[in-house]
Amino acid sequence: MADHPFASVPHEPGAPKPDAIVIADHVHRHFGGLTAVDVEHFEVQRHAITALIGPNGAGKSTFFNLLTGFDKPQTGEWQFNGHSLVGTSPAKVARAGKVRTFQLTKALNRMTVIENMRLGAADQGGENLFKALVPPLWSTREKEITVRAEALLKRFKLWEKRDDYAGSLSGGQRKLLEMARALMSEPEMIMLDEPMAGVNPALTESLLDHIVELKNEGVTVLFVEHDMHMVRRISDWVVVMAEGKIIAEGPPDTVMSNPAVQDAYLGAHHDTDLSEIDAAEEGK
Amino acid sequence: MEILFDALAEVFAPTTAAFALAAIGLNFHFGLTGLLNMGVAGFMLVGMYGYAITTQAGAPIWLAILTCCAAAAAFGVILGWPTLKLRGDYLAIATISAAELIRYLGRSQTLQPLTGGSTGIRGNEFKFTFEALSPFPDENITILAWTYHGSLSSSWWLRVVAWAVVALVAFLFWQLSRSPWGRVLKGVREDEDAVRSLGKNVYSYKMQALVIGGVICGLGGVLWSLGNSVQPDSMGRPTTFWIWTLLLLGGAATVFGPILGSILFWVSLVLVRQIASTVIPDTWLSPIELEPFSLVLVGVTLMCLVIFRPQGILGNKRELALNG
Amino acid sequence: MLKAIPDLEGILTKTIDRRAILRALIVLLVAAGAVTAMSLLGSASAAAATSEVAAIAAPADAAAAATSIAPTEAEPVETTSASTGSNRVVQTLVNGIVFGLLLALASVGVSLIYGTTGLSNFAHGEQVTLGALLTYFFTTQQEVSLPLIPVSFSIGWPLIPSALVAIALAAGTGWIQDKFLWSPLRRRKVTIVQQMIVSIGLSLAMLNFIQWWFGAQRVRLTIISDERIDMGLFDIGQITLISVVISLLCIAGVGYFLLRTRLGRATRAVSDNPALASASGIRVDGVVRLVWVMATGLAAVGGILLALYDSGTAFDVGARLLLLMFAAVTLGGLGQAFGALVGSLVVGISVEMSTLWIGTDLKYAVALGILILVLLLRPQGILGRAERVG
Repeated sequence: MADHPFASVPHEPGAPKPDAIVIADHVHRHFGGLTAVDVEHFEVQRHAITALIGPNGAGKSTFFNLLTGFDKPQTGEWQFNGHSLVGTSPAKVARAGKVRTFQLTKALNRMTVIENMRLGAADQGGENLFKALVPPLWSTREKEITVRAEALLKRFKLWEKRDDYAGSLSGGQRKLLEMARALMSEPEMIMLDEPMAGVNPALTESLLDHIVELKNEGVTVLFVEHDMHMVRRISDWVVVMAEGKIIAEGPPDTVMSNPAVQDAYLGAHHDTDLSEIDAAEEGK
Repeated sequence: MEILFDALAEVFAPTTAAFALAAIGLNFHFGLTGLLNMGVAGFMLVGMYGYAITTQAGAPIWLAILTCCAAAAAFGVILGWPTLKLRGDYLAIATISAAELIRYLGRSQTLQPLTGGSTGIRGNEFKFTFEALSPFPDENITILAWTYHGSLSSSWWLRVVAWAVVALVAFLFWQLSRSPWGRVLKGVREDEDAVRSLGKNVYSYKMQALVIGGVICGLGGVLWSLGNSVQPDSMGRPTTFWIWTLLLLGGAATVFGPILGSILFWVSLVLVRQIASTVIPDTWLSPIELEPFSLVLVGVTLMCLVIFRPQGILGNKRELALNG
Repeated sequence: MLKAIPDLEGILTKTIDRRAILRALIVLLVAAGAVTAMSLLGSASAAAATSEVAAIAAPADAAAAATSIAPTEAEPVETTSASTGSNRVVQTLVNGIVFGLLLALASVGVSLIYGTTGLSNFAHGEQVTLGALLTYFFTTQQEVSLPLIPVSFSIGWPLIPSALVAIALAAGTGWIQDKFLWSPLRRRKVTIVQQMIVSIGLSLAMLNFIQWWFGAQRVRLTIISDERIDMGLFDIGQITLISVVISLLCIAGVGYFLLRTRLGRATRAVSDNPALASASGIRVDGVVRLVWVMATGLAAVGGILLALYDSGTAFDVGARLLLLMFAAVTLGGLGQAFGALVGSLVVGISVEMSTLWIGTDLKYAVALGILILVLLLRPQGILGRAERVG
C-alpha cells in the first residue's frame, strides 16, 4: 500500500491532504431536530483509497448523498478538483467526474447487462433526441462504447452474461455490474456505498482486487464500509464518523486503536481492542 | 357473414388508426419511460381543439396541424413541469385531473363561444380544409366489400392518411426506442437515481418523452375528430382507459403492439356486440344493453391482462413483467 | 438511517391541530383566489342550469356506439337548488358543509385503503353508486330485473330496510374483493402500479355492469320530497338534515373505532408500517379485510345519502365523484382517515362557494384545480408527513 503521500498527514479529523481531490467545509445536514451530518472539514487524497467508517447512524450514507448531489445540506461548501459542486444536481456531479454506487444495488433489471453498461458511457450524442433520429451520427460512438463495455465486462468476469437481463444476475454479480457500469465514463473518482454488503465471501476477494486495480489506474476511491477486514486490507487512509461528525482520521492500523473510535463503536466494551474482536469474528 | 365484414371493416377504420396513434403516444410515456399518464384523452382533446378552432378561424391546414402540435406540447409542458417529480400514482391522479379539467372547460358554457360547449364543434366547421385535399372523387366508392365516401368525414381519404400517419409514427418510435435516447428512457423507467448517477438529466428526458408522446396523442385526436366531431364528452376517462387497455393488449414498449392492440380491441368490440346480439335473445340482453355489456368485457380484459400477461401479445415477458 | 419522525400518534389522537386548520384555511383562500381569477374567463353565468346528459353527435362508423358512453361524463352530482335562504353566502357555505360531509363518507374509505395497502382504488366511485342503486333495487315500486335474466319483478320494501340490505351487500362486495382479488394479488407481490391498473379495469367493468343492470336513466330513491326548513340565513331540507346527522354519526363512529378500539389502533399501525405491525403480532390480512368491508360499507352509505340529498341517482354518480374523492383525500393527506374528512369539507365548501363567483358549470373544475395545486405544492396534504413523494 503506497502511503507515502500520507506520511506527512497528521492523524486528526479534518486533516489536510497534500493533493486533495475533494475538499469539504462546514457541511451541516439536519432532519427536523436530528443532526445527521456535521462535518467541519474533510479532504480526500487523490489517487488513494480512502475508507469512511463508523457505527450505524453515524451519517456516512447521508454524507455520501450530500457529496454526490443526491441530497442538499442546510449549509456547506465543497469542491471537486477545484470546482465548487454545492447545489449541483447528481447528474452534473457524475458528469464532472465523480461517480457513485448505491448500497441497495441499482442494476437496471429489465435491461440487459450490455445495455446497462452502454448507458453508463458519457458523450453519446445519440442520447440527444434529434441526433437519435439519425443513426449515422451516433453509430461510431456506439461501437466505441460497446468495445469499452465488453472490455470492462471481461475484466469483471461478467462477459458471458452480456445478453442476459440484469435482473437475472445474482446479488454479487449485480454489484459488480454496478461498479463496472460506473467505470464506463472513465471517472476520476468513484464513491462506493458499502460495496461488500450482501456479497458472498468468494466474490469479496475479487471485488477487493478490482478496487485496488482502480487505484492503480489512477482513480480515486472513497468507500463506506462496515467490513473491517476489507478496510484494513486495501485502504490507504481511514476516516471515522460518529453522530454526524468526523472523530478520527489516520492509516488503518492506527485509527482502530484510537480510543475515541473504540468508544464510538463499542460503548461499554471500549477497553477491548477492536482488532481482537475482529480476529475473534474471523475465527468463527 | 355480414358480421365478419363489419368486424373486418374495423381493421382499417380511421378510429382504429386514431386510437393506435394515441396508443403509440402512450407507449412513449409508459412503455418506454414508465410515466403513468392517465390523461391521454386530455392530450387528444387539446390537440383536437387546437386544430378545429384554428381551422374555424380560417387558418390553412398546415397551420392548424402546427397549432395542434403546439397546444399538445404546451399541455405536456404545463402538466409535466411540476408533476414529473411526483411518484407514480400521484402523477396518475394529476394527469387524470388535468384531463378532466380540460374536458370541463371545454364543455362549460363560459367557454362556449370558443369550444362549442357540450355539443362541441360540428364537422362542417373544421373538416373542410382536410377534405379539400382529397384526391378521391366526391362520391361513395365501394372497394371490395366496403363502401365509404371518397372524401367526406369518415372517408377513404381519411383512412389512407390516418394509416400513413400511423406507419410514420410507428417508424419514429422504432428508431427512437433502439437509439441511445430510448435507452436512457428505459433506464429511467427502471430506476431514476441510477440514471442520474450516470450523468443523465432525468427530468429533461421525462419531459421530452411526455411532450413527444403528448403531441402524438394530439394528432391522434385530430384524426379521430376528422372522422367524428370535436366533442369533449367523447374524450373522457373511459377513452383513456380504452387506450391503456389496447396498449397493454398489444404489448407495451413494442413497435406494433399499439397497432395490433387497437385493431384487436375494435374488432373484438364489434364481434362481441354482433355475436351477443345474434346469440343472446333480446329479452336477456336488449340492444341498448349491448354497449355496456361489451365494455364490461373490456374492463375485465384489462384486469386479466395486467394480472396474467402484463407484456401483452407481442411483448417480451422478461422485459415487461410489471413487477420488475 | 436517520429520518424525521414527527408526532404521528399526536396528530392522530388530538383531533386536528391548529396548524392543520391554518393550512386548510390557506388552501381555501388560495382556491377562492384561483376561482375568482377563473371568473375573468368569458362571461360568468351565475347559476346557469347544468345540462344533465350531453347531446351526442351521430357519427357514421362503429365508433359511434362508443361515444354513446358519453352520458357518463356529464356534470357530477347535481346539488339541490342553491338558495332560498336569505343569505347566499351562508347558504352556499351550508351546502358546502353538507356536501363535504357526504363526500367524506365516500372518501374515508379511499384513505383507509390507501393507508393500509398503498392502493389508489379507482373503483371506489362505483362502490358509492352501488350503495345507491342497490337501495333503489330493493325499494322501488317500479319493476326491476337482474342482468341476463328476462324476468322483471318489483320488491318495494321501505327505504330503511332496503338501505340496510344494500349497505350489507355493498360491504359484502368489499369482503369478496379483498378475499378473491386484492389479497391474492398482494400475496403474488404484484406491484402497486399494476394493482392500480387492475382497479381501473375493475372500475370500467363495474361502471358498465351497473349501466347494463340499471340503464342510463336517473332514478329516485324516494318520492318523498325534501321539505325545506327555514333557518333564517339559510334553509336546509328535512331529509338533508337527517342525512347530515347520519353522516356525522358514521364519521364519529369511524373516529371512535380508530382511536379507541384495539382493532382501530391495529388499523392505524398497519397504515403506518405494515411490516412492523405484522412483526408485533397484528394479523395484517385480517385488518385489511376489515378495512375493505368498512370502506365499501361507508361508500354505500355515502351513495345513499347523496342520492337522497340530490333527489336522484344514476349509474355514474360515483364515477363523477371519483376525482372529487381523490381531491379530498390528497388534500387531507393520502392514508390519513381524518385527513379525508378535512379534505372533503374543504372540497365541498370550495366547490359550493365557488358558485358565488363562477358559473355552476365550472364548479367541479374548482375541485380539480385544488387537487392539482395540492399535488404541486404539498403532495402529502394537510395532515400528511413531509416524506418524499417523488
